[in-house]
Amino acid sequence: MSDEDRSLEGWAPEITDSATLAEVIDRAFDYRGDVTLVLADGRQLVGYLFNRNADVSEPFVQMFERGGDDPATIPYARIRAIRFTGKDTAAGNSFAAWLRLRQAAKADAGG
Amino acid sequence: MSVPLSQMWTVATYVLGQKLRGRKRYPLVLMLEPLFRCNLACAGCGKIQYPAHVLKKHLSVEQCLAAVEECGAPMVSIPGGEPLMYPDIGRLVRELVARRKYVYLCTNAILLKQKLEEGLFQPSKYLSFSVHMDGLREEHDEAVCRVGVFDDAVEGIREALRRGFRVTTNTTLFDGADPHRMRKFFDAMMDLGVEGMMVSPGYSYSKAPDQEHFLRRQRAHELFSTMLASPKKRWRFNQSPLFLQFLMGRRDFECTPWGNPTYNMFGWQRPCYLLQEGYAATFEELLETTRWEQYGRRSGNDKCRDCMVHCGHEPSAVDATFGSWRGFRDSVVATVTGRF
Repeated sequence: MSDEDRSLEGWAPEITDSATLAEVIDRAFDYRGDVTLVLADGRQLVGYLFNRNADVSEPFVQMFERGGDDPATIPYARIRAIRFTGKDTAAGNSFAAWLRLRQAAKADAGG
Repeated sequence: MSVPLSQMWTVATYVLGQKLRGRKRYPLVLMLEPLFRCNLACAGCGKIQYPAHVLKKHLSVEQCLAAVEECGAPMVSIPGGEPLMYPDIGRLVRELVARRKYVYLCTNAILLKQKLEEGLFQPSKYLSFSVHMDGLREEHDEAVCRVGVFDDAVEGIREALRRGFRVTTNTTLFDGADPHRMRKFFDAMMDLGVEGMMVSPGYSYSKAPDQEHFLRRQRAHELFSTMLASPKKRWRFNQSPLFLQFLMGRRDFECTPWGNPTYNMFGWQRPCYLLQEGYAATFEELLETTRWEQYGRRSGNDKCRDCMVHCGHEPSAVDATFGSWRGFRDSVVATVTGRF
């Protein structure tokens, strides 16, 4: 399994400082499944994190909560933890994986 | 010549208008994704890999129209997901046609015959069905991971043509495509009677070594050169001849990702239709705050090094057509002679 096929499903990283928070947010942004955000007030939001912007004065993420209609915007400063709780819908579906499957199928057909 | 003169005129006057205004970055085709849901699950497709609650969502017609107005592009491409699964697709298309936008409805055509029989659409010079066809029956069904889709699509195309609709095809080619089979495919599509064909290499970013990247681009040039070196006069392509020359390695264009901006339920996608590096709330914010210098082949960005897809490079070709007399002359010559 290549790096790009390795899934973060089930990952629950410890966030130790702001740099690490930004890194985990970036990973959550790339993740094709729901995540759980644990906020400073103890609330937990479960949904798909589809955007993040660290280039503004108050960096934020945006997510569609499971069961919600409109996207929620949450400042980085309110996030205490991120857990990769949802199924990774992209796992095993990379372009590279597809090419490998096609090549294997062709080899089977030829052999 | 496969694009109607009225559409050519609209695009030409629009591009020249942008140039006269000194606008460096302008949109040519809005990629409007009203939903991500699809009735196929093609391996390698990154458009449908979302949790179920996201796949159930879609934009409202009003959100779509607001994006169209905000963007201002003369052409609107509606991919997805499968746009024929969008519950308001009939109304959306009617509204866009009423606004004189040239609409390319990009569909796998599985539902096309059914939707036409339901009377969802009316023929118009502003509306084209752009049917996804990745080759002859064997290649297409393999690409979409389901047997029978090619035949469904052909049936849908025939029905659309019979009813007087404009129909084009949209073909993505990957490593291993057989240029001789593709030439047969072009013949088959012309036999069907489609207005024109669009071809583009697939986006194949991977963290492979540089040598492999180079070969991928080189292989794409070889593939398109073999396919298009002696084009038959009857073949019609619904795209810029300069872009086809670019695919053959006879020209070089830098990517202009703002030329085909993408809007979907997440917002305005940075920087392009294929890469998802964030979203802007408005089209203006997209143009003003995206770090464009970080994208395109010359930027050195690994993700862009091999990319030759039409959504980034066709607007460059169109810009080149109207950017100099030479570009214009070359486009006219290629269009008139049918040679690239």
